[in-house]
Amino acid sequence: MVKLLLGIVILANAANLSFISFSTFRYGGAIDPFAHTIVLMAIVIEAFVTAVGLAMILNAYRHYRTLDVRKLRKLRW
Amino acid sequence: MFTPVLDSILFFMVSLPIVGWLAQKIGLNRIRDVYAILGFMLSGYALIGLYEEVSKSRIILIKIATFGPPLGACLVIDTLSIFMAFTFLLLSIFVSVYSVRYMEHETRVTEYYALFLGMVAGMIGVVFAGDFFTFFIFWELMCVTSYVLVAFRKELWAPIEAAFKYLIMSTFGSVTIFFAMSFLYGMVGTLNFAHLATSIRTVTPNYWLYLTIAMIVVGFGIKAAIVPFHTWLPDAHPEAPSSVSALLSGILIACGIYGLSRILILIFNPAQFQWGILVAILSVITMTIGNFMALLQSDVKRLLAYSSIAHIGYILVGVAVATETGLGGAFLHVFNHSLMKGLAFLCAGAFIHQAGTRKLNELAGIGRRMPISAFVFCVALLALLGVPSLNGFISKLILVKAAIEANASILAIVLVINSVFSAAYYLRIMQIIMLASPARKIAKVKEAPLAMVIPMCMMALLIVFFGVYPEPVTVFAEKTASAILNVQEFIKLVY
Repeated sequence: MVKLLLGIVILANAANLSFISFSTFRYGGAIDPFAHTIVLMAIVIEAFVTAVGLAMILNAYRHYRTLDVRKLRKLRW
Repeated sequence: MFTPVLDSILFFMVSLPIVGWLAQKIGLNRIRDVYAILGFMLSGYALIGLYEEVSKSRIILIKIATFGPPLGACLVIDTLSIFMAFTFLLLSIFVSVYSVRYMEHETRVTEYYALFLGMVAGMIGVVFAGDFFTFFIFWELMCVTSYVLVAFRKELWAPIEAAFKYLIMSTFGSVTIFFAMSFLYGMVGTLNFAHLATSIRTVTPNYWLYLTIAMIVVGFGIKAAIVPFHTWLPDAHPEAPSSVSALLSGILIACGIYGLSRILILIFNPAQFQWGILVAILSVITMTIGNFMALLQSDVKRLLAYSSIAHIGYILVGVAVATETGLGGAFLHVFNHSLMKGLAFLCAGAFIHQAGTRKLNELAGIGRRMPISAFVFCVALLALLGVPSLNGFISKLILVKAAIEANASILAIVLVINSVFSAAYYLRIMQIIMLASPARKIAKVKEAPLAMVIPMCMMALLIVFFGVYPEPVTVFAEKTASAILNVQEFIKLVY
């Protein structure tokens, strides 16, 4: 489960990196402050999503006694 | 700062924990409930003032920072935003009154109300946003509070499992939207909707733009539960407390529809990019799968969750044709669906609150024990089915008319067939609830408390009222459709 959450974090970092690379491309080396602010805010948002996710993983561990996401399959159909 | 509507809700959200703590000290827990309801009422009052302002000038721009567009954040409020905010606040007021008794045996009710206010603030922010970045921040506010609300009963395993699934899928959707934002930024250099629209509406489509459209459809599709991305919904909606499921099903998935239609119509010109076919195919799959899966369920709330998926399919028909009638029908159906599905979930919540079960065969004959709740439940189900003289019929009729007018008769035919097909499960629940002989387990069940029955009855009255006399909302919905299609005015205002 933790790896699943880290996958999401990496995906978000890819988006941030894409913002930064596009901003340097536009202004020939200098970073556009607009992209800078967006990436900073996005990092904060990612952080709180991750915090909620970790809290949920903690609760899931208390119920299932495992961190294997394949064991979380009681809900079907 | 963000218009009085949003400011009052955000203020109440931040101050509610303090009020809840003080109320607990005094020993009058009801204060926090009243305080939350007051927050919604105040915001609704502010919305009336804003509506008058918007109906005068059709569209208004509010700068958040000292410098405005293209780089500064801004809010752009048109009739569509007002219509959506009205839908959200109407359902929220009913649900908050209902929650007073429904949540009284829970611990952490203060947190519940704070998160509830936060979710509605996020949704209103989403519909008011005038640039992609403001949109994204409010979108995440809405998402994160809804994850916590789904996992509210954390002492049970099922809500945690459902919420974890929801968190992973929905966050993936949000990040996909964020990635699409980075592409749009790379192409245009700003994230303001109007500036993106002027730059992208006129160019010839290329692979990058098609990739961006695909990412936007995936991102909003996950939130709106369009079929290949719907798997979180049938888990998350039933496992949340019923008042939260009413909100999730009634208005949260409507935000996905709003985002999809607003961004696709404003930035990607339907005539040039031809995304209508994609949305049409998705709508056919969505309504068919939703109806088929609903037929197989034995759990009331899970059945209603699948029926929400089917209704998202109906709404997408209107978005796919992207004409004025189609969008008017789609947004009218969003409004009607919020009332109908909200009421159905609140009634299911009343059954669960009184009888302690949500299996259909254990609820058999509960209509004899809880006549009022069961009666309004039947009103909601008949409206969902689309019986004439109830509000669901009007919007479905407009959607069928729009599909035929836009030479997409196949969509109209599929919609009507699905609508008839859905009678199978709606009538089955009604037969079980009303006509079957009561099971022994529910022999001592009593009618729900008055504070829960009153909002339910008022919603049922509104359903009948808008079914018999639909002019006020149909005219409003037509205005919203012309507002969303009037792209030039939107652009001219911001420039």
